[in-house]
Amino acid sequence: MSMKKATDMTGKVAWVTGSGRGMGRAHALLLAECGADIVVHDVLADEARETAKQVEAMGRRVLVSHADVADPSATKALVAEAIKALGKIDVLVNNAGIGQHGPIEAITVDDFDRMFAVHVKGAFFCGQAVMPGMKERRYGKIVNISSIWGMNGANTASHYCAAKTALLGLTKAWAKELAPFNIHVNAVCPGGVITEMPIKTQGWEKIRAKEKLVPLGRWAQPEEVSYAVAFFASAQSDFVTGQAISPNGGETIVGF
Amino acid sequence: MSVLEGKVALITGSGDGMGRAHALLLAERGADIVVHDIDPKMANETAERVRKAGRRAHVAVCDIADIAAVQSMVREAQGALGHIDILVNNAGYGQRAETPAITEQDFDRMMSVHVKGSFFATQAVVPGMKERRSGKIVNISSIWGMTGAPVAPHYCAAKAALLGLTKAWAKELAPWKILVNAVAPGGVKSGGPIKLDSPETLRAKEEKNPLKRYAEPIEMSYAVAYLVSPEADFVTGQVISPNGGDTIVGY
Repeated sequence: MSMKKATDMTGKVAWVTGSGRGMGRAHALLLAECGADIVVHDVLADEARETAKQVEAMGRRVLVSHADVADPSATKALVAEAIKALGKIDVLVNNAGIGQHGPIEAITVDDFDRMFAVHVKGAFFCGQAVMPGMKERRYGKIVNISSIWGMNGANTASHYCAAKTALLGLTKAWAKELAPFNIHVNAVCPGGVITEMPIKTQGWEKIRAKEKLVPLGRWAQPEEVSYAVAFFASAQSDFVTGQAISPNGGETIVGF
Repeated sequence: MSVLEGKVALITGSGDGMGRAHALLLAERGADIVVHDIDPKMANETAERVRKAGRRAHVAVCDIADIAAVQSMVREAQGALGHIDILVNNAGYGQRAETPAITEQDFDRMMSVHVKGSFFATQAVVPGMKERRSGKIVNISSIWGMTGAPVAPHYCAAKAALLGLTKAWAKELAPWKILVNAVAPGGVKSGGPIKLDSPETLRAKEEKNPLKRYAEPIEMSYAVAYLVSPEADFVTGQVISPNGGDTIVGY
């Protein structure tokens, strides 16, 4: 298989959750650039429409949804709608997520529940909803977006760290469960990435200080994470399953 | 003096199986034990055996997923035995199902018992540990949390989440000298495997293991006892997987 053919996703349909902005949008745009039609999905309606506009401008088909990723009946309905509109779903990128810093004592039951509902329950039931079609066609790609904090922990946000680690557990279990159907399941664990979220919550000064601690001396642009997603979403990775790639500038190397 | 003399250990889910083995070994090494289980009869039995070993025991019966009940359990236990030095987040259960068969209720219960239960039990004991600038927390994960399995993805994800908590808390709580580690059992002749596998299946699985056998529950307890002892005072954020060589690189 030539390199060009391996990266070509023409005729494939990819669903990227949380693709209204940030890394999710970057994943959607890169997959569209590789030829895929995209289900743009975000609770933020304006942002989702903007991503969709950019996908359409590349000449790809698009479906926009604002379903709450934590609501399994809503995401199940979204899959039915997507199959009607775009024919099938070949690729699922479980990207939707939220961040929240805080020590153990400050994390309420509601905080905990929302953290797991969005990241873990959301990913689980999105996966459950796309699997029947993937099994039927005996081909599918699922990419779970974990985090360097899911591999290493952090001194804050232990509920976030645990939810991101749960996604690695899901990745490995599904890799084994779905291997007989030629469905590949992998994870991407971003290190520091320059998106609106850290700029807003931490500010440039803190980001610059953190960049100094990374062996490569910088944080990544969102697209640099998308390249790993595109690798897992394309035929290049047809022998790769149950694995995690962490584009993190060398910040952690052994990982788990 | 026994190595854990004067320490109080809360072991969730210690009415039966590996949890009971942890309770009895820590008692043998000198600790007083808060025996927690959802089943009062089993919890009382474990407590009786702790007392026979010459240690104090307090029985707490509640659903580990009920946060308010867990908080009052910790308050009452500290009233009965004094401050809690050691928490072993052991309560858990298995459910063998593939993804299409797992309902929202199955998923929620799996996460609630393993992850939410451990999270809020820890949240309840941490203030006291911080005050004393000392504490040991052991989360019981599983080899399946490290490697995945072709069934029970919700269980695998919950057990992986416990490794995430372990690593995050190790960093968050290090300034207070509270050490947090995980034990990730491989095949053990207790609970799930005994109930869910036929003797032939179990035997076949043992044959695939480099050591050609499953472990006795107490072989997991030795790892727990090491981690909660002063011998492990430089060990935090780590995972020990007694698994007979089943998986070596792990994550």
